[in-house]
Amino acid sequence: MATGTNSLPQYLEQLPGTTFRKLYQQPSTAFAIFRRMLPHMAKTIVMAILYSPTPFSLSDLDLWVKPTAAREKDQAIAILRLLHIVQPQSLALTANFKNSLRLALEGGGDHNSFGVPSTEPIPTEVDHMFLDKYARKKWDDILHYVVSATGITNVQTGSSGPKQSVKDLLLAGRLVERRGAELTITHIGFSFLLQEANAQVWALLLLWLEAIDVANASGNRSDMDSVDMLSFFFMLASLEFGRAYSTDALTESRRNMLPTLIDFGLIYIPQHNTHQFFPTRLATTLTSNETALRSISAGFSAATSSTSDEQDKCTIILETNFRMYAYVHSPLQIAVLALFSNLKFRFKGLVSGRLTRKSIKNAVGHGITADQIVAYLSTHADEQMYRHAAAANKPVLPPVVIDQIRLWQLDTERISTCDGYLFKEFDEYKEYKAVADFAENIGVCAWRNDKKGIFFATKVEQIKDFMRSRRKANEGNNS
Amino acid sequence: MPPVKRKASGSPAKSGRVSTTSTPGPSTPRSIDSDDDSDSPDEPVENEEQLQKVVDRFSLATFRNTTAHQEDWTSNRFFKGGRRDFSYLPLKPDFKSRPIWIDPQRGRIILENFSPLADQAKDFLITVAEPLSRPTFIHEYALTSHSLYAAVSVGLQPRDIINTLERFSKTPVPESITSFIGSCASSYGKVKLVIKDTKYFVESTDPDVLQKLLKDEVIGPCRVKGTETVTSAPSMGGLVIPGTSNAAGVQQAQLKKDEKTQPENAEGTKAQDPYDALREDDDDDNQEAVHAFEIYDTCIEVVQKRALEIQYPMLEEYDFRNDDRNANLEIDLRPATQIRSYQEKSLSKMFGNGRAKSGIIVLPCGAGKTLVGITAACTIKKGCIVLCTSTMSANQWRNEFLKWSNIRPDDIALFTSEHKSRFPGNTGIIVTTYPMVTNSGKKRAHDSQKMMDFLTGREWGLMLLDEVHVVPANIFRKVSHSIKSHAKLGLTATLLREDDKISDLNFLIGPKLYEANWMELSEQGHIAKVQCAEVWCPMTAEFFDEFNRQKKNRSLQQNLYVMNPRKIQACQFLIDYHERRGDKIIVFSDNVYALKQIALALGKAYICGSTSNNERTVVLENFMHNPLVKTIFLSKIGDTSLDLPEATCLIQISSHYGSRRQEAQRLGRILRAKRRSDEGFNAFFYSLVSRDTPEMYYSTKRQAFLVDQGYSFKVITSLTGMEKMEGLVFKTPQERRELLAKIVTDTEKSDDKDRDDPTDDLFYLQSSNKRIRRTAGGLDDLSGGKDMAYIEQKKGANKALKKKPAQSNAFFKKIAREKERLKNQR
Repeated sequence: MATGTNSLPQYLEQLPGTTFRKLYQQPSTAFAIFRRMLPHMAKTIVMAILYSPTPFSLSDLDLWVKPTAAREKDQAIAILRLLHIVQPQSLALTANFKNSLRLALEGGGDHNSFGVPSTEPIPTEVDHMFLDKYARKKWDDILHYVVSATGITNVQTGSSGPKQSVKDLLLAGRLVERRGAELTITHIGFSFLLQEANAQVWALLLLWLEAIDVANASGNRSDMDSVDMLSFFFMLASLEFGRAYSTDALTESRRNMLPTLIDFGLIYIPQHNTHQFFPTRLATTLTSNETALRSISAGFSAATSSTSDEQDKCTIILETNFRMYAYVHSPLQIAVLALFSNLKFRFKGLVSGRLTRKSIKNAVGHGITADQIVAYLSTHADEQMYRHAAAANKPVLPPVVIDQIRLWQLDTERISTCDGYLFKEFDEYKEYKAVADFAENIGVCAWRNDKKGIFFATKVEQIKDFMRSRRKANEGNNS
Repeated sequence: MPPVKRKASGSPAKSGRVSTTSTPGPSTPRSIDSDDDSDSPDEPVENEEQLQKVVDRFSLATFRNTTAHQEDWTSNRFFKGGRRDFSYLPLKPDFKSRPIWIDPQRGRIILENFSPLADQAKDFLITVAEPLSRPTFIHEYALTSHSLYAAVSVGLQPRDIINTLERFSKTPVPESITSFIGSCASSYGKVKLVIKDTKYFVESTDPDVLQKLLKDEVIGPCRVKGTETVTSAPSMGGLVIPGTSNAAGVQQAQLKKDEKTQPENAEGTKAQDPYDALREDDDDDNQEAVHAFEIYDTCIEVVQKRALEIQYPMLEEYDFRNDDRNANLEIDLRPATQIRSYQEKSLSKMFGNGRAKSGIIVLPCGAGKTLVGITAACTIKKGCIVLCTSTMSANQWRNEFLKWSNIRPDDIALFTSEHKSRFPGNTGIIVTTYPMVTNSGKKRAHDSQKMMDFLTGREWGLMLLDEVHVVPANIFRKVSHSIKSHAKLGLTATLLREDDKISDLNFLIGPKLYEANWMELSEQGHIAKVQCAEVWCPMTAEFFDEFNRQKKNRSLQQNLYVMNPRKIQACQFLIDYHERRGDKIIVFSDNVYALKQIALALGKAYICGSTSNNERTVVLENFMHNPLVKTIFLSKIGDTSLDLPEATCLIQISSHYGSRRQEAQRLGRILRAKRRSDEGFNAFFYSLVSRDTPEMYYSTKRQAFLVDQGYSFKVITSLTGMEKMEGLVFKTPQERRELLAKIVTDTEKSDDKDRDDPTDDLFYLQSSNKRIRRTAGGLDDLSGGKDMAYIEQKKGANKALKKKPAQSNAFFKKIAREKERLKNQR
């Protein structure tokens, strides 16, 4: 990934131990971290020692693990230590984590960490389908904004793109950039688009956290605390989809976060009843493990309509003549294609475009790299391409086109530098000419300007000697 | 994207005569072509208002629906305000099993080549539409007035075209397309001009159309009274195209019976195309009756012109089997000659109804165009005139005729600047060149004038036009006026020009009858497989400096980037590499100065426009047969019609700007490689370009056509091992600087006298805008004190003076001779 801060594991890793201690006070957080962040081996170890009264010795662990899996074991332990789940030296769980996880598994306590269901009646229009549609629209608005970055009004759906606060966030996270009057997507934005929906949500949430951290550091808006926010996210992830939860049970600062979460489409609050909120699928799948992430879009499509399976799909045929035919419906995907190709026409379900030097240069100018484009093309390559490639024993994408894309990018990075010395302010032109000519002859002169009487050489020793001997000769002549 | 600049609508020369019937918008593409039209200088062509009117009337622009559609926000943003968004066309429920989409505005057809129906669809589309790009997965075609004209002329009905499109299309065929097809077809192909028993007849299956023509004030009086006839439609009947498998059977039958009558039944000749089924329907229609009236042969032109004006372009057909006035020619293909399936297919379109239709057949270089021409001549068996581009290729044509057919060597004559022979009998074949028959402006030598009279004084059965793309329409008109022929067959590999000069050929010669798929032919092994590469040669520092300094001096700039030392090195390296592999190499350079210099530097033979015919023959003979001569340098003159099957590798060091045709033609030189059927054989095509110069831009343009045919150019940025090569030229900066100085002085000296051969377009008009050039410079520049080396220009001059005393005057010569004689007598 292009930037480190965009993913959850990297964010967590750089948190100090105290923060973890605070985080693990919430059973939901402990549970979420356990579920989402740990590899399988680490989970097993945690479960094994969760109820163990005494610290576990590392040598005992070695007996459990097959010698061939020693590396995985070491990794697991490293992660557990990194996340402050086990103590630095021995193999014992940290107190907070142990207690919280036990609570989460056993139930009980009055921590309300898993949300308080609202007792009020649920509005009739709110069902799974409604929530999915709502979340999808909100999220698509954000993605569209990143792609088109102009906030154009969507005529068909009547929405006007994401809220200003979200736009600011995207700008601050450098997903989009202001160039003159216009906003354009950056390479960070492009890799953001290529991520799975779940990773995208996290990326945005983490951006928000950072923004709050920065704000707190500069002394304003101190009512929100990034640690509390993080554990609130984990709490949201543990809620049940389609159920109403009470806003009254939330703390003041958490209630303040709700408007932004609405902007992201993570929760829905009925207009006439602000006392309850519904987490959407975006929220409840936050801590699903990696493979389950895809189910977010699958869940969407199952919910929205029968044809929408094709809605999200985008398969591309890339020809050796640089034409690109994409089987695509969603305007978002079309917009992504438009980032690096020159679109020609569109039928229902088919868009044709062309990769040109200009279009690639444009993309590169926005910071999208050739590798990203190639990766995008190859992940979306049509099944026909695969079939043909397998039959002809050739690479899936035409290598000529791929090379050309790379070369086009290289074309934008043509300047090379070399270290050296600039010679200037010669006493007279004759002197300059002699030295510069000498430099040229021995092949160290990299550049010269006879008018200004300056030249640039890559090596200096011989020139020094030459000048010294000249000066000596001159002095000899003069005296 | 800014709207692609279109030649037709963008040219100021034409805007004045856009007829009122068409309403093209400012960015309306009218000539549907590839996307990559280069903005070539648009020279005003001969004013052809009528033709233009017809062309305009049949452009799709008239029928397109200009409303923009909005599917969602992307429509507006990426598809020209929704004008290129056709998602409003509903998909048919079973769209997945249908292979094509149809663009309602520009008539583009997108074909999924992997669909099970693709082969059928392709066979159909090649008949009704122009192929634009045919790579691996998705093909693009365009419906144009020309292509529909061609479709109609082979007997397709508009109803059938629309129905078949409907069958293949994923969406319902758009309204604009159906009305476009309907309107084109309603007037195309309705009227035919047929020569029967030396009388000209205007024929039509539709009596109403004929009535309309008769009532016309111009055409009416041309009618020969009382000649209206009604006959039944012609059919393929007993016509057999020689060389086909069917013909072989016929010949055997003939041998058995030992008689010269043709068998009554030769049904099998019909190609198994999907449109055959359609044509059978037509045959039913055609059976009705054909109405015809005779016109005076003096009025042919008037009638043709008028018919074009009232929008019934006439198809020319030649009922050669019933032509008794012109003597039959004893010619047949040799028994062993077999023509290939695609050649048969193309010919079956020409002789589809038992008559010879005029038209153009497009086959890749090396795919046997000549044999197609010869077979056509053997089918018609009448007098035949062959026009080709150069004396060299005229000789080749004659030899091919002798090789493939049993024609008596006496019956085939050459009319070139060197040979002016005639056939002894009353009919035969004449092979000549375009310049020979067209330079009417200049005074001809006596014998060629006599020859011309011979040509114009008789009626020819078939006119074969080789490399027809080099003939601009106005020149062609000249030829067709002076030489009368019943049928015309144009042959070419690349029916494209950067200027607009050949768009009318479709109307003048006839529709494009067939266009082959390059990739398919190469996969079937009929033409060689080629690896294409573009080698990027960075400019050396000193050359690039000079290049940037000489912004104004185009010809010097050109010489600089063409003769970039790195490029010469790359050329040397590649030559060396391929010579060692045993390849025979042709190096092409448009720039004659560079050609000579580089050939000299590398010690290779070269041929350019100024090389004498004798020397050419010697060099080519050596190249073909001498194992020591593996490389030759050719200027533009080698681009077309040069048959060198030995060549297996091609290096291009300079070229004619963005000419797609030249690129394709040059590639054609190695497609017929002798060794193509060897296992794993590849021919090589390298294009050397200097980086950061206009060459890069042009090279992309040039490749467009080939790339659309499915070829791919691999970019090579550095040749490994080049630096280490033994004897690499221009290795030291010193040598490079010398080369630079030489180029600068030579270029200044020659200006552009030597720079260009007068192109391979024989009739390319060179704009002579030599202007006075003002340059800034110091006195030392002018006096030659700066960067100037003294070069003796006429080294032999002094010696010559010594040797030859002033004796040039004829008078003194005579006296000297006299003296000599007297001396001898004593």
